[in-house]
Amino acid sequence: MRNNPNGAALTASDEPLPGPVSGFGFSDGEALEHLDALYRTALRLTRNPADAEDLVQETYLRAFRFRDRFAANSNLRAWLFKILSNAAISRFRHTSHESADTSLDDMPEADLYSRAVADGGLEMSAEDELLSAVLDVDVRRALEELPEPFRLAVVLSDVEGFSYKEIADMLDVPLGTVMSRLFRGRRILRRWLAEEARPALTRPGGTAA
Amino acid sequence: MNCAEMIRLLEQFVDRELSSTEAFEVQAHLDNCPCCVDIFHFETAMRRLVRRACSESAPPSLRDRILSGLHTESDP
Repeated sequence: MRNNPNGAALTASDEPLPGPVSGFGFSDGEALEHLDALYRTALRLTRNPADAEDLVQETYLRAFRFRDRFAANSNLRAWLFKILSNAAISRFRHTSHESADTSLDDMPEADLYSRAVADGGLEMSAEDELLSAVLDVDVRRALEELPEPFRLAVVLSDVEGFSYKEIADMLDVPLGTVMSRLFRGRRILRRWLAEEARPALTRPGGTAA
Repeated sequence: MNCAEMIRLLEQFVDRELSSTEAFEVQAHLDNCPCCVDIFHFETAMRRLVRRACSESAPPSLRDRILSGLHTESDP
């Protein structure tokens, strides 16, 4: 376990703490640089500020408790997100019956895109139009309606920019599972956006003119 | 590469997760297919929307709460 500080920190909570080891640890300041990123991810997962604050505080308490096991040359940001994800997942197990088995229709991806792009009246300049037509608050609501495993994967990839491999390590799942969660989550968002964008772009006085 | 193959690889392309050979093939297809360029723009717009929507900062009180919790914990 000592050779694998990233994993050990989350699974060995009852073990006595090892003494300080040279080359391990991080400062309070280094850890707090990631506060905003952890908080916004916690907000998406918990869907409300009070629970998000609790989740982030719990994440930091665990991180500081196990800081001697963090190898100084490894990725602190990924390590903190791993702790956050684990803390969130154990909360969801207690408080939620959400399932990843959301049934998805069989519309081929190409049809979905053609609906969004062609039927939605989007053209080459669509990117900027889309960005100005869709409100952040609606995007957040759409994200927060995704089943939790998909939502977490989408946030870790699209918002925080982690690689598939980093997310797989973080969640202790195979790479293929990360890709499947990510693609299914984005597919739901894409469908929502295709439906959202069309009325927004064609609304009288809208931004499409 | 045809349009269906491009769509299958598009997300991994945007995520920079393709091998350089595959990425080159996707790029070559995009250079010659305006339809797929629209799809590519839709995909990148969606990522930008999600990123923009999720750009909140933590409240300042949370930092204080974390630091005070830390000191409580380290002072037995």
